[in-house]
Amino acid sequence: MPKKPSLLIVDDEENVLFTLKLVLQEAGYEITTASSCSGALDLIHNAHRFDAILTDLCMEREDIGLELAHTASKLRPRPVIMIFTGYGSITNARGALDVPVDYFAMKPLDLDELKGALRRLLSARAATKRGRR
Amino acid sequence: MTVPAHKKTALIVHPDLNMLSKYQALLAAEQFTTMVARDLPTALMAITQHYFDVAIVSAQLGEPGDGWPLAGVIHLVFPKSYVGVLVPGADLLTLQAAINNGVQEVYESDRAPEAVVSSVFGSLKAGESKAKARARVQ
Repeated sequence: MPKKPSLLIVDDEENVLFTLKLVLQEAGYEITTASSCSGALDLIHNAHRFDAILTDLCMEREDIGLELAHTASKLRPRPVIMIFTGYGSITNARGALDVPVDYFAMKPLDLDELKGALRRLLSARAATKRGRR
Repeated sequence: MTVPAHKKTALIVHPDLNMLSKYQALLAAEQFTTMVARDLPTALMAITQHYFDVAIVSAQLGEPGDGWPLAGVIHLVFPKSYVGVLVPGADLLTLQAAINNGVQEVYESDRAPEAVVSSVFGSLKAGESKAKARARVQ
């Protein structure tokens, strides 16, 4: 059986974390969760590999999700990086473009759109890896 | 049009002929072979036939916002290429569209083509330096 793509979902709102975990598990992904940016960074620094990292933007403090995105963007292989926020602004969207993150969504999330974007980005990443070999 | 193998290539997509010729001249001065398109069908035809290292696309070709899906397709077909989009203003939704279409940078439409091309080359050089540093580390 092919290995399930692994996702790290990061949000300090328990209900969002629970819903995303449920929906994406159902969609066939292996899920790890963290309820803070520091918790997510611990996982990353302890050699956990993820195909995609989906993170909230404002947790311990405003826009801290960009720090996680920045750290994740330096990992090799680089995971797909998706950010979602209820507090979108020109400043944090500009920060996300500069990282660069792969997907930026506003809350409330459209879960079908999120699943579609995730599937598309993971497929594109896999195709790029195949092309490199 | 035949594209010599050693030359880098750029695609400019803009409805204004005057802008197309300005960008073409600026990129030619940087030793780029440049193809231009004024509409979506011509641009789509070009990307099926040629590889592009750089694409600069107007967000508004025929209808408002119709340049975004084209930018997304270019990123999908050439994931390592640089895609810049010319926009009326860089508001939140514009930046979100840029991220979600894999665009590297947005440039306000009233910015001089010279400044846009200079920024594109600055980003390309920064990208090359990062890649070289990464290769040394690995």
